[in-house]
Amino acid sequence: MLFSMLRFVVVSFISLSLFISAYAQSVNEIALQPLADQSLVFDIATFSNTAIAVGERGHLFKFNGQWQQVSSPTVALLTNAFLVNADQGWAVGHDATILYTQDAGQSWQVQMSSPEIEKPLLDILMFDEKSGVAVGAYGLFYRTQDGGKTWQSEFHHELLFEEDVAYLEELKAEDEALYLSERSTLLPHFNRIVRLNSGALLMVGELGLVATSDDLGFTWQKQDFLYEGSLFNGVVTETGVYVMGLRGHLFYSNTGTGQWQEISLPTQSTINGGIVLNDSTVRLVGNAGVILDVKSDGEAKLVAQRQGENLVSIMTDPQGQLWIAGTKGFVKLEQE
Amino acid sequence: MLDKIVNGLEAFLFRQRLVVIFSFLLVTVFLALQASNLKMDAAFVKNIPLNHEYMKTYLKHQKQFGGANSIMVAVEDTSGDIFNANFFDSLKKVHDQLFFIPGVDRAQVKSLYSPSTRFTEVVEDGFAGGPVIPADFSTTDAGLAIVRGNIEKAGIVGRLIAEDYSAAMVSAQLMDFDPQTGEPLDTLAFAAQLEEQLRGEFENEHIKVHIIGFAKMAGDVAEGAKGVVLFFLIAILVTAVMVYLFSKSILLTLLPLACSLVAVIWQLGLLTVVGFGLDPMSILIPFLVFAIGVSHSVQMINAVRRRVGEGETTKAAAASSFRSLLVPGGIALLSDTVGFMTLLAIDIGIIRELAISASLGVAVIILTNLILLPLLISYCKLSPSVKAVKKADGNDIWRKLSCFATPKYAAVVLSVTAVLYGVGLYEANKMKIGDLQGGAPALHFDSRYNQDTFFITDHFSITTDVMTVIVEAKPEACTYHDQLMQIDEFEWQVANTPGVESTASLASVAKRVNAGFNEGNPKWQVLPRTTASLVQAVGRIPTTSGLLNSDCSVMPVYLFLQDHKAETVEVVVDKVKTLAATMNNEQLTFRLASGPVGVMAATNEAVAEAQLPMMLYVYGAVFVLCLLSFRSLRATVAVIIPLYVVSTLAQALMTQLDIGLAVSTLPVIALGVGIGVDYGIYILSTMAVKLRDGVPVQDAYYQALVERGSAVIFTGLTLAIGVSTWFFSALKFQMDMGILLTFMFLVNMLGAIIILPAIAAVFWRKPRA
Repeated sequence: MLFSMLRFVVVSFISLSLFISAYAQSVNEIALQPLADQSLVFDIATFSNTAIAVGERGHLFKFNGQWQQVSSPTVALLTNAFLVNADQGWAVGHDATILYTQDAGQSWQVQMSSPEIEKPLLDILMFDEKSGVAVGAYGLFYRTQDGGKTWQSEFHHELLFEEDVAYLEELKAEDEALYLSERSTLLPHFNRIVRLNSGALLMVGELGLVATSDDLGFTWQKQDFLYEGSLFNGVVTETGVYVMGLRGHLFYSNTGTGQWQEISLPTQSTINGGIVLNDSTVRLVGNAGVILDVKSDGEAKLVAQRQGENLVSIMTDPQGQLWIAGTKGFVKLEQE
Repeated sequence: MLDKIVNGLEAFLFRQRLVVIFSFLLVTVFLALQASNLKMDAAFVKNIPLNHEYMKTYLKHQKQFGGANSIMVAVEDTSGDIFNANFFDSLKKVHDQLFFIPGVDRAQVKSLYSPSTRFTEVVEDGFAGGPVIPADFSTTDAGLAIVRGNIEKAGIVGRLIAEDYSAAMVSAQLMDFDPQTGEPLDTLAFAAQLEEQLRGEFENEHIKVHIIGFAKMAGDVAEGAKGVVLFFLIAILVTAVMVYLFSKSILLTLLPLACSLVAVIWQLGLLTVVGFGLDPMSILIPFLVFAIGVSHSVQMINAVRRRVGEGETTKAAAASSFRSLLVPGGIALLSDTVGFMTLLAIDIGIIRELAISASLGVAVIILTNLILLPLLISYCKLSPSVKAVKKADGNDIWRKLSCFATPKYAAVVLSVTAVLYGVGLYEANKMKIGDLQGGAPALHFDSRYNQDTFFITDHFSITTDVMTVIVEAKPEACTYHDQLMQIDEFEWQVANTPGVESTASLASVAKRVNAGFNEGNPKWQVLPRTTASLVQAVGRIPTTSGLLNSDCSVMPVYLFLQDHKAETVEVVVDKVKTLAATMNNEQLTFRLASGPVGVMAATNEAVAEAQLPMMLYVYGAVFVLCLLSFRSLRATVAVIIPLYVVSTLAQALMTQLDIGLAVSTLPVIALGVGIGVDYGIYILSTMAVKLRDGVPVQDAYYQALVERGSAVIFTGLTLAIGVSTWFFSALKFQMDMGILLTFMFLVNMLGAIIILPAIAAVFWRKPRA
């Protein structure tokens, strides 16, 4: 009697656990796909023992020795990720999406999503757990002071082009609605925002936009820049800052505010990202699979070129291993 | 009643012997002339189930999106680097030559040299672009350097250029009709032109030409099928030796062979008369006709010999043998014919052709071997040695074999049969549908065609294993974000299915174009929500890309598969069906399927669906015929059970040997059953008479063996030899068919002499009073 009861319990326990695992699997299958880590991945963020990454179709990854996809609350393409500490992080992307995690990237919640404005967010920079900014296409600019519970839009007219300022003034008097709609498309794309060693902010973007702010981005000073093509990224080193962009253009400045000098690269491909390797070298990645090393003396050489893929960003995982994210997913860089 | 007809026929035929023989001669001459006009024929549409749901989709959109009938020519530079003047000259000539071969759809010839091969690049103020090979191209180092740069910008590496730059591709779609004559395209002539005008002309020590595509494969298959002439001669030779050993008389060896060859000539001649060509697959029919003819002739000479031995004149012996064999022989052949006719129920052109030509061939044997042969024999003066056939011919063996009809042995035989059946059924259920190997399944692994296929799939990121899902929508559907998003989601889900290597659709290409419009920034690789941007992205994609029609109401999703093995295709088809079931709505319909693998999927499904009905028809036909001739349910069941066990074992053998159920192997079971039933009919027709007279089962079986046993065993061996030469065929499917038919013929023979008497021992336990 006892024996048969015991057997019943064991059997039901086994079948229950089978049921649960089958159920869990079916839920996972909906969200997770085997090709996710070989599809577009755009950014990797690392903080002490945590590393996360984001990509197309709302793909989110967490690093635990390898890149593991985790469930996502969105299908919008995610462009950038940021960790403020080992637990709290944000991701931004198309449809003006902002996601938030407080368990080191295991689970994510939507803080903002505005498909109707038809613009993507391209970068996010948090100053601390509470405050930070997210920027994007056509001058999209949001600020939070409460850890992302609310995001307020800002319009930085100081970054408008002069001819557009006049045009908008004229329009404002005539037609308020048209003024607002025109205004929403006249600012250049804000591609990347980084914090300089001085504590000031540097933002780069479309049409040679380089701007700095000393007050956490409330007001911006637009620089008279020597190049009119788009800039996609900025890499801060111990001594200064590089900005990079279209068709192999790279510039360096000691302060980020004053003199820029152009460094000629042995490629005409767009440079999307970079990382400081050591005191003397910055490694850059870009379209057409280019991987370049730039020395502090300005010498640049092509390290490798990966056929048929565009490389977007480069980062180290918590073990110090270099990873590149791009249009064919994660690329592990062998240490030389 | 039947006896009266037979007697009347005998009297008539044997009185008019000369006239009858002369008319046979006339008909043979006429049909031989017809047969000499017989052409090899391997049209694409014959191989596909035209009424299958997928094929309706395929045919509906074939004109717009090209069909499954494409040809790919990879021109390889043996030095491993294409950037030299000689290579580019050769490539241009290959392109031009292919362009001008009749039957090629000139609008769809693609290579570096086609005007649609263009590059675009992002510059600060927008796009720059042009043809990959500029108008002022010269094969100088400078010119080649420009082309090399353009190739990289155009993103055609892997498609038009090998990934390692060792080869370049020229691809084309074929039309189903020759535009000049309006006749259906002669696939084999086209394949010959490819061989001569491309490979023959341009292949040398620097340049290698790899050609793949259905037309080329059909050509190679037809070329390989020519080897069957040799096999046929070998089969005739071996059969001749066998017949001589059986008959011990040169004359009685030559007459059956001659009559069987007459049957083959008639069959081939009739093919031309009904307007068929000889297909590489139906080339097996002459072998079957010959072997079946010989086996029935052997029954005939066996009967004559016995009667002559009993003291009749040769003429009288021939006449009485005719009388006694016309009905069982006729029924056996008729059931063969009906067995083949059941294949007509399968909606694949080539199987229907096989059914018709096999039925014709077997029906003809009734005339040549049951009528012409005894008439010819009646002119012979059989030698004493023939008459003196040992009375005790194998009597000991027959005595021993007759034990199978005793209850003790029957119990053993039936138990073993039951076990074999059980194991067979288990294995048979694991039988796979479709092609189980990579490459062209019709050809061997090391054939030039398959080697070319492997070269192309290794060096290019394309594959011939393409399945296309057609998305049907309302006009201008591609300007709606939500609809393209749905196609994109569908594509992504399918791309993540095991077996799918890569995919392409309007949605995924539009995303890349959108990134292009945003300075090549991959972060903009999305379908823009703004209608203007979406239209801008989609508008850059021409209809020649094959991704949309002119009003984008049709947008195919291309699935490039790892291979076309049955399991791979099945998994992908299932996934597409599941997705379509949830995603189809009033705006979008996802339809299977086009592309070569789409055709294969349809064929696999048609074959799988046809299997059960075919078996039901063929067994139904055999059942009715047996019932008619024996007028006994017991006898009918006793004949059919061994047959059924053997068909199951044949399916188990297919599982064991990795032979899939395909267009070529599907008919084998029907052929095997149709012919295999003969043995049982011959044995049981003698037994039934004795049993009705009250003879005990074992004695009845013994007497049947004495009368028919050697002929039955001999028949099994002859048939098996006829088809076993196919083991050595250059064509893999002929080898498969050869193995299976040999098995069916031999084991059905064993079934008739071992299992049948055991069943009889149970059914007729008590002799009639």
